[in-house]
Amino acid sequence: MALISATNLNKVYGSGDTTVIALNNVSLQVEPGEFVAVMGPSGCGKSTLLHLLGGLDQPTSGSVTIDGHKLSDLPDTKLTELRRHKIGFIFQFFNLIPVLNAVENAALPVTLDGVRPADAKARASEWLTRFGLSDRLDHRPDQLSGGQQQRVAVARALVANPALILADEPTGNLDTRASEEIAELLRQVANDWKRAVVVVTHDPRIAAHADRIIFLKDGAIVDETVLEPRGSQNSQNAEKLAGIVKAMGD
Amino acid sequence: MSVRNAILGLLAHQPRHGYELRAAFEALVGGGDIWEVKPAQIYSTLTRLEDSGLIYHEGVEQDGGPEKRVYDLTPSGRSELADWFATGVAGEHHRDEFFVKLMLSLYGGVDPYSVLRAQRNRLYQDLHMLTQRRNGIDSRRELAQIFLLDKSIMHMEADLRWLDLIEARLDDIRRQPLPQPPVRPRGRPKKT
Repeated sequence: MALISATNLNKVYGSGDTTVIALNNVSLQVEPGEFVAVMGPSGCGKSTLLHLLGGLDQPTSGSVTIDGHKLSDLPDTKLTELRRHKIGFIFQFFNLIPVLNAVENAALPVTLDGVRPADAKARASEWLTRFGLSDRLDHRPDQLSGGQQQRVAVARALVANPALILADEPTGNLDTRASEEIAELLRQVANDWKRAVVVVTHDPRIAAHADRIIFLKDGAIVDETVLEPRGSQNSQNAEKLAGIVKAMGD
Repeated sequence: MSVRNAILGLLAHQPRHGYELRAAFEALVGGGDIWEVKPAQIYSTLTRLEDSGLIYHEGVEQDGGPEKRVYDLTPSGRSELADWFATGVAGEHHRDEFFVKLMLSLYGGVDPYSVLRAQRNRLYQDLHMLTQRRNGIDSRRELAQIFLLDKSIMHMEADLRWLDLIEARLDDIRRQPLPQPPVRPRGRPKKT
């Protein structure tokens, strides 16, 4: 069963003459271990969709179900709990807390959740070490590069062991190389730890890491590209590749 | 580029026979699956280069086998190669099959948006494959191969951004008249 399932999502802002349709009948399923990119021009509804999937905003109609829980059925406290346990968020501007070091930042979601600070820090350090930041654990955000800050943010998103990762333009503030590293990291999060990953991006090179790309326009899904059919992760088609590179080199 | 210049460059490094040239070239460009050169192409190129006086060969006797031809550069071969190194390579960016397809779809009968989407799907699938291939390469040992893939990846990225630009303004393009050939004077062309 899909980990996250959105059915006929509509989001309308305003009323009468000033009505803006932000999302128009969008349905989407994402499986554990799947990496889905959402693309489209600015104002197409990408971020609105992400906010609805994460329970940060309510749809005008339609429903979102995460791991069997229909968000609209949950009271606020339960919704907050589900967000904290099932979903990890990654943002364009990292949103790290300036006065906390890398470990404290990454540990924050579980610290807030009542886990003993020492255990929370141990779990955070584990993720940071996996992400190549073992020698940066006690650095504050201003002592880290953009790419390193975003890796801390990815660790923070994973520390509570969520099944779903939602990222809004996670590389929008990074250079090409750091963007590539974050994209590879998200790929790994889906592949190795079987999380469902949904990334809103306008960067073709980030989207190319995904299993599937969904194209939004004027609030509706206008196209979908399957890059990696389910069950054939990391398969390579050498012959096809040969054609591409040769065509570019001629 | 033709394989011709690559052969001259490889021979400047050391004299080689046909088979070695082919293997060395394929290793250089990242493998025979990326840029395959048929043996016939190598040998016909060697013949042409030799006819033009740019290379020469010496026969080497082999135990029991046929004579092996080992090729080397002549002085004019060296100067031709030096010219090639000194000249910039022209980029070929204007001949675009997709563009022709899109323009023809504007005549009607085919939805230009679907043409655009088919192209985007294809490019993303190719880009995905290149990205995976690139991630599988060890940058500590095969950095040059990464740069070759980066070139393709960057070009595809540009193509995809270009498709977005077209999609955003496709309705404007459709409202404009399609490009027409210049009007020629009627009647028989004048004899000159």
